[in-house]
Amino acid sequence: MRHLDADAMSALARREPEAVAYFREHLARPCDTCEDFLATHAGPNLLDGQVDAALLAAGPVAQKAKEAPLDEVGFARVRRGMKGSRPDIRRWGLAAGAIAACLLAVVVVPRMRAEDPAVQAGTEWDGIKGPGGSIDLELAVVARGANGELRRLDPQSAVAESDVLLLRYHATEAGTALLFQQRAGQGPELLGRFPLEAGMHDLQGPQGLAGVSLEGESGPVTLWLVGSAGRQEPTPDTVREVLVGGSAARERSRLAVTRFDVSVRSGQNRR
Amino acid sequence: MGSSEGLTEWVRRAARGETSAYSELYRRTRPMVARLVAGFAPLDPDEVEDVIQETFVRAFKALPRLKEAGAFEAWLLSIARNRARTRLERKASTRRLEDDVADPEPETVPHIPEALQLERDIEVVRRLIAELPEGEEKRTVQLFYIEGELSAREIAEKLGVGKSAVTMRLERFRSRIKRELLRRVLAGRWE
Repeated sequence: MRHLDADAMSALARREPEAVAYFREHLARPCDTCEDFLATHAGPNLLDGQVDAALLAAGPVAQKAKEAPLDEVGFARVRRGMKGSRPDIRRWGLAAGAIAACLLAVVVVPRMRAEDPAVQAGTEWDGIKGPGGSIDLELAVVARGANGELRRLDPQSAVAESDVLLLRYHATEAGTALLFQQRAGQGPELLGRFPLEAGMHDLQGPQGLAGVSLEGESGPVTLWLVGSAGRQEPTPDTVREVLVGGSAARERSRLAVTRFDVSVRSGQNRR
Repeated sequence: MGSSEGLTEWVRRAARGETSAYSELYRRTRPMVARLVAGFAPLDPDEVEDVIQETFVRAFKALPRLKEAGAFEAWLLSIARNRARTRLERKASTRRLEDDVADPEPETVPHIPEALQLERDIEVVRRLIAELPEGEEKRTVQLFYIEGELSAREIAEKLGVGKSAVTMRLERFRSRIKRELLRRVLAGRWE
């Protein structure tokens, strides 16, 4: 008795009549040998994708997909992956545990906070009914070295490519923050969306503490943390326009904008 | 089955270079890709996200060369499976870093009639699930494919079994579906 193997799959992909006729009959009954082979080998053609589409269509995911909102953070990662010539690297590392608060005397970075919404009527960020709340945001950054050592950074600090930057913020209100990274001469790129709580907290998402990997970076890098109060959530494009619009645009907006600049030294064996 | 209704037009627009079409394709298909990858329980959430990203980067880069727009969904899911398997095998040290599962070539994907067999295929899936003997495998398959809420990792916790055991059960069941659909292909259903 013949079972599926690489040669048989090639013959089936070419639709050789003898192979098609034989396996059409053979596969009409359960066959552990053939099923084991099918489980570990792709094809023929797009059969694997068709099988998965059928399996997924049996549940609720296909229906949910029709109404799913765009995962902006995920799509931003994909866009960056499409543009980048570097190999796929993990931009976001998830560090275990919280940053020890004692390591972090908060460094107040240049802050361009929102003005009173009452005087912001008519600015470019619309779409929110009623006056929005204001929020103050301050940012501190710690570098975690390749050896696990944590060190607090001052703005404009030199960091190593192997460092991962961990962020801690102080917010006066609960809200939402978007984190962007900007390289010299390029536009800001969205890294993630995070909930903000009033008080001092580590920046973290649903999967835990967030860190910015500097792998593949070189030269000046700016991190922008942009907060909005309450349930007001500006789109990434809106925030991007504010960031590239300079200080005037930032002062006009209702957003709390903080930045932290570092200079990445490329190469090994540094710190 | 081919790409769902409306998806094919977005694929064509993306192939023509319309940026907004890529975001729409991502929005519409990410839940399917994420669900597929969630079946590989040994991958942690960070690895799952990486696999999803890698899948879309590869697919979108190659999309302008995709011969059959109607085959996009099956092609995308094939890439996702390959990426997840590669990541899993590298994690288990059964595949070297430089080795890779080859993705289907976009220039040679076959024509797949639009949504031709979807309802019948879903019936095949449901029938084979119903025919499974009562037990842990059937419960696992129902939780993942029919209820469709829990990831394989979460199912492992719920059932109190190892992560790999859940993925093995899902893969074993999937291989039965694959055998049945292959038989139907050979019987000429798409000819």
